[in-house]
Amino acid sequence: MTSRLRNAGLTLATYILVLAIFFPILWTLLAGFKTEATAVAQPPVLFFTPTFDNFKDALTNAGYLGFFAHSVIISVGSTLIAFLFGIPAAYALGLFPTDKSAGTLSWVLSTKMMPAVGVIIPLIIIFKGIHLFDSLAGMIILYTAINLPLVIWMMRSFFAEIPKDLIEAARVDGADTMHILWRIAVPFVTPGLAATALLCLIFSWNEFFLVVNLAGPNASTLPVYIAGFMTSEGLFWARMSAASTLAVIPVFIAGWAAQRSLVRGLTMGAVK
Amino acid sequence: MTMARSMRMLLIAPAIVYLAALTQAPFILTLFYSFQKWILTSPELGVSFIGFENFSYTLFQDTTFRAAVINLVIITAGIVILSLFFGLCLALLLHRPFPGQGLARSLAIAPFFVMPTVNAVVWKNLLLNPVFGFVSYFTTHMGLPRVDILAQFPKLGIITMAVWQWTPFMMLILLAGLQSVPDDIREAAEVDGANAWEEFRNITFPLLGPFIQLSVLLATIYVLQLFGEIFVATQGGPGSATTTLPYYVYETISQGNDVGTSSAQGVCAVILASIIAAFLLRLLARTFQVSKA
Repeated sequence: MTSRLRNAGLTLATYILVLAIFFPILWTLLAGFKTEATAVAQPPVLFFTPTFDNFKDALTNAGYLGFFAHSVIISVGSTLIAFLFGIPAAYALGLFPTDKSAGTLSWVLSTKMMPAVGVIIPLIIIFKGIHLFDSLAGMIILYTAINLPLVIWMMRSFFAEIPKDLIEAARVDGADTMHILWRIAVPFVTPGLAATALLCLIFSWNEFFLVVNLAGPNASTLPVYIAGFMTSEGLFWARMSAASTLAVIPVFIAGWAAQRSLVRGLTMGAVK
Repeated sequence: MTMARSMRMLLIAPAIVYLAALTQAPFILTLFYSFQKWILTSPELGVSFIGFENFSYTLFQDTTFRAAVINLVIITAGIVILSLFFGLCLALLLHRPFPGQGLARSLAIAPFFVMPTVNAVVWKNLLLNPVFGFVSYFTTHMGLPRVDILAQFPKLGIITMAVWQWTPFMMLILLAGLQSVPDDIREAAEVDGANAWEEFRNITFPLLGPFIQLSVLLATIYVLQLFGEIFVATQGGPGSATTTLPYYVYETISQGNDVGTSSAQGVCAVILASIIAAFLLRLLARTFQVSKA
């Protein structure tokens, strides 16, 4: 009896804790449906007639939509190019490891660990010099480099799980390496591919340091737009909340879809 | 299986060259710039080689730089330690079977998906605003004085936001760790009459060791780069209370346009990050070997 009581107590504690953790998100979502007056009301208002005006405003605001489009183009573009470069490397490292592979992989990891402040100054100068500053192409090139180590490490761990007989059989049939890679190996790891893509999209979508240093109005993404709210419209909480909600919804969808592979991605494939 | 050397090169080299060009090469340039005097907005001064002058200024004269290093260490340590603690509690609670476990886990990881700037605007306004914020409504109702956390305890404010974000990260890795601890070991301990605390201390915690190590190491590497929260919530202030190394480099280049000094700061940041990572690896490896013995 005491153990059942203790169990129920722990479950209740879990519910309360999880609700407390989720509360800031819930509160922001609610504030997006309030009028500006209700959003700042004290005591805080829990029940109110929802208005969709803030969401409508955000979705018809050319500035917001522009930043949204930049976010989509840059995160999708950089994920695709990172796949193009990363998958062949992951395939070779995962299915045909040599004694040098471990060294190559740790070097790849070390590039991911490099603090961004260690590379930002030359990037600003070079990007300005070759007209990549404040351009979608420039941001795609950079985010590809951020995504590449993740693609190599994660896809390597998925490729390593392919039965060797499958590849051997295709080789005996006379298929060339590119055919085996793109037509046999890649389709075999589709779930891993999807999880990796979602993680790349999340990290590119949320990145802030590089974009705020290297982009202006032509290539800035949603995190920059939201940061701008602070200076220009800091007091319009309802509008700010609606814009914030719309900015994080794609990541929530991607994140919850990739939930099972999340740990694998966050630990670069170290924890399965 | 083997693969022809030329084919391996063809598959691997493009990725390696790409990464080298965008990470190694710029870092070498940063090193090169750090020995130069170069102000972007004053081209008439030219660019000249000045040896270690930027470093001696940064390390021995610039008091803000020193503050930025100390702030970085305090803020990072606070975030990593607190989110490890909360993450561990949360992982232990979410590991037990209970109704709604799947939904609870999904809700608990949500903060990790929130972009840093949204995190900062939400906490700064909706929650921590001294007049209209949700938190102050509660604290004033409990009879506590009205506090403006970001103005009076700015480091605590930044740490709070980041802990909210990084607790789910810790929780995810530790939960994976708990799932890898075989249930029969724990059941055996229960049969032997171990209470919950003994079971945790003698069985779960040591087996969780490698996962704690990994989560602390990864979180430290990421949190050392914390920037968006500070940029939005405090702009490094008040004064330089929340100016960390990444934020100071940003200020030096974007407001001072000083290539040489900011590069020297960047080089120091990379060295500091490497030292902290190496130190952590050793410390953690030793701690967990001791607890296993």
